[in-house]
Amino acid sequence: MEADFLATVLLSSLSSASILLIATIGLAVVFGLMGVINLAHGEFLMIGAYTALTATQAGVPYLLSIPIAVAVTMAIGALVEVLIISRLYGRIFDTMLATWGISIAFYQLAVLTFGTVSPGIGMPQISVQIGDYSLALYPLLMNVVALLMLGFVYLLMTRSVYGMKARASIQVPEMARAIGISSSRVNTLTFALGCGLAGFAGAVLLPIVPATPSMGFAFVIKAFLTVVVAGPVTLTGSALAAIGLGGGASVTASFLTSVAGDAFFFIVTALLLWRFPLGISARWRRKL
Amino acid sequence: MTLSQRLYRASAWAFPAIAVAVALILSFLIDPYLAFLGASWVIFGLLGLSLDIVWGRGGFLSLGQTAFFGLGGYLGAIAAVNLGPLIGNTLLPTLPIAALIGGLCAGVLGSLIFFARMGPLQATILSYTFTLLLWSVTQSLKFTVGAAVVGGDNGMSGIPGMVIGFGEGARPLAPNGVFAVCVIVAALAYFATLALMRSTFGRVVDCIRLDIQKTELLGHDVRRVQVANMAWAGAVAGLAGGLFALWSNYLNPSLFSVQEALLPPIYVLVGGLGTLAGPFVGALAIGGLSFWLGGGAAGGQTTLILGVVLVLLVLFLRNGILGALDQLWRRFLPDPNAAARDAGEVRINVNDLDLILREAEAQVGPAKPMATDQAFKQFGGVIPVNKVSRSFVPGRPMALIGPNGAGKSSYLKTCVGVYQPEGGQVTIGDTDVTHAPIFCRVRLGMGVKNQKPQVFGALSVYDNLWTAAYARTRDKAKASDVAGRILAMLGMTAQSGVEAQALSHGQQQWLDIGMVLCVAPRVVLLDEPAAGMTNKETRELSLLVRTLARHTTVVVVEHDMEFVRTLEGHVTVLHQGEVFAEGDIDSLRADERVLDIYLGRRQHV
Repeated sequence: MEADFLATVLLSSLSSASILLIATIGLAVVFGLMGVINLAHGEFLMIGAYTALTATQAGVPYLLSIPIAVAVTMAIGALVEVLIISRLYGRIFDTMLATWGISIAFYQLAVLTFGTVSPGIGMPQISVQIGDYSLALYPLLMNVVALLMLGFVYLLMTRSVYGMKARASIQVPEMARAIGISSSRVNTLTFALGCGLAGFAGAVLLPIVPATPSMGFAFVIKAFLTVVVAGPVTLTGSALAAIGLGGGASVTASFLTSVAGDAFFFIVTALLLWRFPLGISARWRRKL
Repeated sequence: MTLSQRLYRASAWAFPAIAVAVALILSFLIDPYLAFLGASWVIFGLLGLSLDIVWGRGGFLSLGQTAFFGLGGYLGAIAAVNLGPLIGNTLLPTLPIAALIGGLCAGVLGSLIFFARMGPLQATILSYTFTLLLWSVTQSLKFTVGAAVVGGDNGMSGIPGMVIGFGEGARPLAPNGVFAVCVIVAALAYFATLALMRSTFGRVVDCIRLDIQKTELLGHDVRRVQVANMAWAGAVAGLAGGLFALWSNYLNPSLFSVQEALLPPIYVLVGGLGTLAGPFVGALAIGGLSFWLGGGAAGGQTTLILGVVLVLLVLFLRNGILGALDQLWRRFLPDPNAAARDAGEVRINVNDLDLILREAEAQVGPAKPMATDQAFKQFGGVIPVNKVSRSFVPGRPMALIGPNGAGKSSYLKTCVGVYQPEGGQVTIGDTDVTHAPIFCRVRLGMGVKNQKPQVFGALSVYDNLWTAAYARTRDKAKASDVAGRILAMLGMTAQSGVEAQALSHGQQQWLDIGMVLCVAPRVVLLDEPAAGMTNKETRELSLLVRTLARHTTVVVVEHDMEFVRTLEGHVTVLHQGEVFAEGDIDSLRADERVLDIYLGRRQHV
């Protein structure tokens, strides 16, 4: 096996892991801070992608369409939280079923609005040459984006007043309420933030993953498994799980088939959950 | 008992039986197209039933039921294509294989989930991704088995219809016949499930849903029961899949799609969670509604409507149609919990208790000592149990005391098996149980009463005791005998039919203690049993503990000094995870060092 081939596989696998991390962080934030799995996460990603697509088609530069996508998904997320999720606090399975219903409704709405096929967006194709192989630059760029997202969430959680309140609310909810933190407002913000991160992911991945109504389902399998493997420690856990699982699946997929990559992902997840039934980070002492 | 009460009790089988009879009569009368649709509603009702078994009864929200349904359908269809032409009949080869495959896959997935003791969210997500994974795998999976061609996203066509005759001349049934067959198969599955859920197995399944830890403390291997329940549910789903394959003559990967997976929870929620018959009502309601609206089975907006319906159901209709009817009916029946209101104070009958304990000793052997040798438990930098060596013997109560944070509860949890120690040894009798799961320790003779009362709230007082007694005796008659006598000993005969959740806190404590006695333990661990009891109740409890200690080993963790004094037993003081002092209560009360750590003064703090 050639060194340049190995390097290519390694780099593209790292990119895959980063893409997975980008698509997962929003879900992990909501799970870590609210204890809820948002089954509509993939559809928020899809909404982000369609918003960015529509904006670019209307003449907005691509880079500017990303914040628009974030704003739109955050607004929808906040609305969903206030109208539906906030009525179901403490009933995690009902919350899950409700977000599932939202997911399928959004999917069908997208089918009705946009049809099942969409045009991609024109991006100049820049490639990097490694030995005999060439790699597209944009996926490599995703490594940087993933790092930036991690950094952003970390700073938000440790440096902002909101982050302090959110972490306080999840650790000792009664105490947080007793000192005057309105947990429902914090939750609305958290859910909106998670949805905004999903929207960001959908928009930033648009050049690689074209917008389709069913794109959410394609992403969520891996995103869900990553989050449950990661467990309650949002940032470190998800990053570790995404790199291990996403990278591993991508390596498997490049040597075998993409279905084998998916199967690898599922089986490794099952084995990890066998060893760590509450996620790898369930017994960690660090909480972020 | 009034007619209404009798009918209410029989409602789980009487109304479904009537419905089956009506459906069979209708199968001769309705037009073929309606029969064709009706058959699909019955099949989907059966699919809903499979979810209700595992969710409504077992307490685990599985989003993998359509996966078992689809796998059963595919494998059943392969059998039908290959074996159907040979023997003529297509039901005989298809349905058993479909049910077997569904049960097998559910059993494997269930073993993974339950033997690992995964968290509920993890388990649900794993089952959901299992379905989604099959969706993506089957898109590209192409293979041929004999005459059967599985063609990836082109699906599998040419599946024969339902044939009940044998040999060359046998012809497929007309839609009305197919409808009747579906009704009969679904009825058999429903009544078999009902019988299972009313058996002792079903009782354990209910107990696991209500309080899984208490169920294990009664000595049940809960993991096996959960896996068996899930396998049964998977078999029902597979059976429905087999029927579906023969009904539609065509299968494709959309069976594993999200849209499909969404259906069973909707049927269950519309009909009523945990009612077993509810999913059929739900499937009929949803199917009938879309038929009436003219959308048919695959109208363009159906998915959207179903998504919205699911959200609305979760928000506003928690009990479903049958659940709402049940509540309405119960309003007109006498309240079974009325007796809870005029319950007097508990008085223990010591002579009865002594007799019960003597008999238990004759049946299950003498009291067993429990001991720990250098037991060590660590959480990060905190060491709540630091090399504690202690031996507990029968004769008189052994109390564990100590200030807050002394490690009493952690030590007890290490003995019970909730915590796995990092070092040292725990023994019951001569058996090393350091790493044994909780139920194994219970089977060796351990009985545990936790600080909070743990009773099965939805079961009656008598059923709580009976379930505990049955867990040991495995004999219905003996269990009834033991439960009846413990009930009388506690003086709660008048409250026998009351739901445990309607009892006061103190009475729930007594019921919990009664359940521990039903298991006839040889070592009894009591964690702050006097918490939340009145003075009078505490005196009765002290009497009970002293009587108990004459026949078994009794370990009591307690804060209440006065209560510990009345026990007249041996006392061990724990401090910072270590044994600090021991002796009888009066000598410890005179010990300056013990006073120091309790009052937080001087060098021992």
